[in-house]
Amino acid sequence: MQRIWIDTDTASDDAVAILMALRWPGVQVEGISTVAGNVPLEMCSRNARTTVELCGKVVPVFEGAVRPLLREPYWAFFFHGPDGMGGMNYPEPKTPPQETPAVEAMIQAFRQSPGEITLITLGPLTNLALALALAPDLVEKIPLCIMMAGAACTVGNITPAAEYNVWVDPEAARMVYLSGLPLVQVGWELCRGEANLNESDYQYIRSLDTIYGHFTLDCNRQAIQTNREWLGDPALPLPDPITMAILLEPGIVRRRSKHFVDIETISEMTRGMTVVDERNVTKKEPNVDVIWEIDIPAWKETLFKTLR
Amino acid sequence: MPRKILIDADPGIDDALAILAALRSPELDVVGLSIVFGNADVDSCALNGLRLVELEGHDYVPVAKGCAQALFIPTEELGTAVHGLDGMGNTHLPLPHGQLDDRPAAEFIIDMVKAYPGEITLVPLGPLSNIGLALRLEPKIAGLVKEVVLMGGNAYVPGNISPVAEANIYHDPHAAEIVFSAGWPLTMVGLDVTTRTRMNPEYLARLYAAGNPAVKLLEQIHPCYKAYFDLHYNLQGTIHTHDPSTIAYLLAPQLYTGLKVPVHVETEGKCAGQTVPDAWHQWAERPPVNVLVGVDEPAVLELLFNLLTK
Amino acid sequence: MPRKILIDCDPGIDDAMAILAALHSPELEVVGITTVFGNADVENCSLNALRLVELEGNDQIPVARGCQRALVVPLESVGTHVHGLDGMGNTNLPLPHGQLDGRHAAEFIIEMVQTYPGEITLLPIGPLSNIGLALRLEPGIVPLVKEVVLMGGNIYAPGNISPLAEANIYHDPHAADLVFRAGWPLTMVGLDVTTKTVITPAFLERLYAVHNPVTRLLERIQPCYQQFHQEVFGMDGSFHVHDPSVVAYLLQPDLYRIQQMPVYVETEGRGLGQTVADGRRQWAERPLINIPLEVDEAGVLELLFELLTRPVSPSDVGTPG
Repeated sequence: MQRIWIDTDTASDDAVAILMALRWPGVQVEGISTVAGNVPLEMCSRNARTTVELCGKVVPVFEGAVRPLLREPYWAFFFHGPDGMGGMNYPEPKTPPQETPAVEAMIQAFRQSPGEITLITLGPLTNLALALALAPDLVEKIPLCIMMAGAACTVGNITPAAEYNVWVDPEAARMVYLSGLPLVQVGWELCRGEANLNESDYQYIRSLDTIYGHFTLDCNRQAIQTNREWLGDPALPLPDPITMAILLEPGIVRRRSKHFVDIETISEMTRGMTVVDERNVTKKEPNVDVIWEIDIPAWKETLFKTLR
Repeated sequence: MPRKILIDADPGIDDALAILAALRSPELDVVGLSIVFGNADVDSCALNGLRLVELEGHDYVPVAKGCAQALFIPTEELGTAVHGLDGMGNTHLPLPHGQLDDRPAAEFIIDMVKAYPGEITLVPLGPLSNIGLALRLEPKIAGLVKEVVLMGGNAYVPGNISPVAEANIYHDPHAAEIVFSAGWPLTMVGLDVTTRTRMNPEYLARLYAAGNPAVKLLEQIHPCYKAYFDLHYNLQGTIHTHDPSTIAYLLAPQLYTGLKVPVHVETEGKCAGQTVPDAWHQWAERPPVNVLVGVDEPAVLELLFNLLTK
Repeated sequence: MPRKILIDCDPGIDDAMAILAALHSPELEVVGITTVFGNADVENCSLNALRLVELEGNDQIPVARGCQRALVVPLESVGTHVHGLDGMGNTNLPLPHGQLDGRHAAEFIIEMVQTYPGEITLLPIGPLSNIGLALRLEPGIVPLVKEVVLMGGNIYAPGNISPLAEANIYHDPHAADLVFRAGWPLTMVGLDVTTKTVITPAFLERLYAVHNPVTRLLERIQPCYQQFHQEVFGMDGSFHVHDPSVVAYLLQPDLYRIQQMPVYVETEGRGLGQTVADGRRQWAERPLINIPLEVDEAGVLELLFELLTRPVSPSDVGTPG
């Protein structure tokens, strides 16, 4: 049994990633902590609980940071829709959020089972940074942290230099990156191009005719449309589900290597840039396992498995 | 009814004077002491926190240990050149008897503020890491705290740890920025008044002559602090009154004049830790804070003298 | 023998008063005027400089146009909300007759300094782009300049264009940094004294009651400047004496209390243009700057009044045309 904790700013693609984990045999989701990011916190919490209920599971959902450490929030309604779920307006979930604050819950969980729970982060790193500030010993207690974060040696999505999750709370990201935690970086570039879900993928998913399949495409309606209009890309990018797929099926990774990675926090122009020392010119100890390439058919098959 | 205060400190020689004065004041009820790194490492500061509450039988006051470093930046250097390696002027006092509260300081602060909504005055005397962390962990405390009276910053006078920055703010500028933008009632007791409130050798001699445990401790730990002011400011045995000024302000705000002005904290570059008053609202709006700029020095010194010698 | 000064300026209403006061002083010989963007665009500032030398027949003084923008930072805006679109309070004066010197201000400065080694005092009263550029074009001018007395910066007083920065330094902080660390004798007449030297409506009434071309020009252009000081600082017709203070300092330095400290200029971020005095040498060593921190306000005002209302002797006046 693989035990995992999901930290998420739950909007459409986060929801699909959560669904994948909940539907994967041999994986136990210990808890879901929510953080302000794509959409405000209450919406993240609600979307996470909606997803858990859709899968017929019982997993505690905790509410965490309502804003980035220092920067002002920047919501991504334009990409995820007014409810963060493509404007599907799913009914209010029946389960309330947990009363324990997310950061406290994370600290408790990792301290109770040191070295046993893998952390996956799908949003800004605010909760994790706060947890590390409050409980520096977590560095020894979290065996692995897989992050949907950054853009390794390539363009960003929210600015030419930066990926959204890191850009939104660059200070929190820097705290996490330099903390000594064993980190895996899954950059947004891995979901581009062929890794997008395309028309034939949509057809296949619809043909499954499962609640999971329909949910995956429905809650991403706005994302599909925005991606087409904004980036001229006809298909659906799914960075969080790819990150989850790497956790569930590490074999889909084709190329990965460890490097020193730091986060720009001073400049406005390159705020939140993940600066990867690919050639080791700084001679600094590598702190991040950077994923460079995945097996695209294998990633899609990993997703499809959870939708059937 | 005495006023409930929670002191967040890095004791620290001037912290010691402030904390002892507060514990001796019948008008103040010290509901807790939370500890942060700063003048020394957080473990030494925590031991000192326990020593101070035990000194005159206030060991019912809980002491909670907090951040060992700034939220975001690496800690370059602690204030041990000023306060000694043990934070108490290298006097290496006997270990305290009591135990620390088992909560981290930020959690302790949140719990106390929620337990006494609208009643607690936070009195931060060190870097603002615990307070900044508490604000981000539980934003609601901004509306539940009665007020914040902190020692830190400088508006119209130079800094001390750098040409532009005061040490408490400099040690965690990001936390300070969180605290100054939080929108709670905040008074900044900064270098504008603390460097103009000076305890000279005659005053200190009179103070030590009172012979109680508090002043005897101060007499023991002060030489290290004086040596620093001699070396850097050529004050010849006189010391600035930093942390204790917050207690004087709490008890007698009429001894100070303040300006209501928004304050921004520089977090980057050479000027990191600078507190910038924006009197003409030229930068993005934020709630004004009360920046103390004038002080009745003799009256403040007399007030502290009376507290410490009674 | 009068002291040779070269004024680098962006006239500008207070620049006008400073330049006219300097031209009225027998102790000073204005060997040239160079212009820079700042209070208005450099074209208007150059026209104004020509107008000012022509006003009382000083048109033998060469005027050289300089930088239209800062060395590094992009041009955001100029000070036209303070000085009017024409830099002269929107009075749209007739065009001057004279021509600009063919040289760029930076070249002109270098040549003048090299022509009169050890004799020239530079008086920058605008952004420091021309001076910074001259320093990088010909570093050899540093020991050849007698001294630099500039209007700009602020130490303990807040800024004016931002909470931290004074406008001249803010408009070209990189050039300012070059000037402050060049190692020449430098006096920074900043907001610490210029905002403590205030011209009141009563002073102006007395000034305007004296009829000469100078006071008549000032009477025309001043209202725009007064209006800005009213809107932003609520000064009821009074205003700060910025640029003219350098002339007062040159003539009577004893009206000021000076402290010597190294000064850094912040060139990045929101503190852009802040001049930081490192009084306790906590940062890397730099040359000491003379910083007037206190001023005998009445003395300065009386000196300026006397200069601006002084009858100009026939020998001082060049032949028109």
